[in-house]
Amino acid sequence: MTITAPGLELRQLSRELEGRRLLDGLDLQVAPGECVALLGPSGCGKSTTLRLVAGLDPASEGNVLLDGEDLTLREPGERQVAMVFQSYALYPHLSVQGNLELGLKVRGVPAAERRQRIDAILDLLQLGSLRHRRPAQLSGGQRQRVALARALLRQPRIVLLDEPMSNLDAQLREELRPELRRLLCGGEQPVIYVTHDQQEATGMADRIALLEGGRLQQVGTPRELYENPANRFVASFLGRPAINLLPMAHRRQLGLRPEHLILGEEGPLAARLLRREWWGHQQLLWLESDQGPLRLLTSAAAAMPPQPRLSWQRRHELWFDADSGARLAP
Amino acid sequence: MKLSGAKALLMLPALLLLVAVFLYPLLRYGWLSGHASSVLTGLRPVPNGGANWQRLIEDVRFWKDAGQTLRFAFCSVALELAGGLGVALLLHQPLRGRGTLRALTLLPWALPTTVMALGWRWILNDPHGPLNAALRSLGAPSYGFLTTPATTWFFAVLADVWKTMPFVALLLLAGLQSIPADLEETLRLEGASRIQILRRLTLPLLVPYLSLALLFRLAQALGVFDLIQVLTGGGPGGSTESLSLYAYLNAMRFLDFGYAATVMLATFLLLAVLLGVGWLLLRRARIARTTGGPA
Repeated sequence: MTITAPGLELRQLSRELEGRRLLDGLDLQVAPGECVALLGPSGCGKSTTLRLVAGLDPASEGNVLLDGEDLTLREPGERQVAMVFQSYALYPHLSVQGNLELGLKVRGVPAAERRQRIDAILDLLQLGSLRHRRPAQLSGGQRQRVALARALLRQPRIVLLDEPMSNLDAQLREELRPELRRLLCGGEQPVIYVTHDQQEATGMADRIALLEGGRLQQVGTPRELYENPANRFVASFLGRPAINLLPMAHRRQLGLRPEHLILGEEGPLAARLLRREWWGHQQLLWLESDQGPLRLLTSAAAAMPPQPRLSWQRRHELWFDADSGARLAP
Repeated sequence: MKLSGAKALLMLPALLLLVAVFLYPLLRYGWLSGHASSVLTGLRPVPNGGANWQRLIEDVRFWKDAGQTLRFAFCSVALELAGGLGVALLLHQPLRGRGTLRALTLLPWALPTTVMALGWRWILNDPHGPLNAALRSLGAPSYGFLTTPATTWFFAVLADVWKTMPFVALLLLAGLQSIPADLEETLRLEGASRIQILRRLTLPLLVPYLSLALLFRLAQALGVFDLIQVLTGGGPGGSTESLSLYAYLNAMRFLDFGYAATVMLATFLLLAVLLGVGWLLLRRARIARTTGGPA
């Protein structure tokens, strides 16, 4: 085979279960210290990918390589993978300390070293005061930190996170993002972060791999995916409010993001205001045009002209094949 | 909460039922145990002070039966828990035809005890039972399995274990299914072996189910009657007689209702104390089952 770069490499990774293709030929590279978000709707194959990397499910085809070493057939326990589950999977019968300690005990780490490593990680995550609590006595955010501490404690070669924040409320999620990045990313290990929340993906990840129906749609920095989507699915999945798709001649669709539409007295499209959502710093206008309904994002102060018309810049146009959804040259 | 008239009214049927089948017989036994009521009194209750209780304390057969009942119950229940756990772990594996297997496992439990005990008596029959036929085909002589105390006791325990292990297995299987898969997966990622997972994770989380099975089964085994009555009749030489059987014999064979009530009540008190202590001990072992997720 070819010489591989350090880090994690997935080659044509596939999983088939009862005749259903859950993951179809995924090629993906994650450099050491890089955080790649697997993003996509439910059932797109992102959690499947994580389980294949962890070794919890067997791959039907393809390989998982770490620093050029093939892990595909290794037992999960031999892969030095740390995983944070969506549920956190804390052992309910053990205290915070017990939760941290069990993995070390299982691997035969001597008591003195166990103690030392647990103290260090509790310090790092500021969990010292919760040491003797049971999971049931912790808040959602605290549970997440304990799960994180447990994952980091084992000095993993790969870190996998399965929707680690989906059980937290929105505000806490936002607060935790920088901390999670600080703790996880930029170290030695490649990090794979599974989420269905694009905001979380763009906020956390160096690169995003967008999946749909078990297939990789596009991989790149959040900005690349946003500005230069490979197809209609990528364009509509990323960006809120969602992109406007206008039917055009020759079975083509014109994609225009709500923030790229300009409200004025001139322009190619006439529109009528249906509804206004006020967001504080911005407002979302729901408009009706000859080409169908449109969403337009503008500053909260913008006034409504008596005969509103819409325009945009040519460079913001995204063209798609109306049938296949493939991206077309303008 | 205030107990309004409507609520009290709705609870009345259940309360009446409890009084009718539980409290009334208990009070009646209590009353009867202070009376002589046998063929000697023309089956009329005659107050005799504490004579029945005095007799109970000195009754060697009662205490011997108590010991036998305890020994039978503890051995059977211990084996049922161990075996039931094994069966539950097996049935928890993703096997083909698991549903059918689970249903089949329940068969012995679904069988009425009397039918099951008759079946075992036939199996153990000397010389016509299949076990003795097997022995003879191996060239060994027939053996009277139900004629010596040791073998009789052994087969009584075996029959009880055979019949009630499915119940324990079912309960523990429910317990196993309540353990989220990601807990085991987390531990697998740490490199834990199957034995380590069982010891460190599965068993601790099964404690509530194990204690439930223990209490249920102990309550039943300590009151064992039908199996013993049909399989051994308490023999040979009273070596498998249980307290329930002794109470039954006092009432139905010796027609000594006053003393039968005393034995019955004493048995009940013994069971209540044992189970009460067991319940208190196990209540402390209860654990929170939160693994994370929404707070």
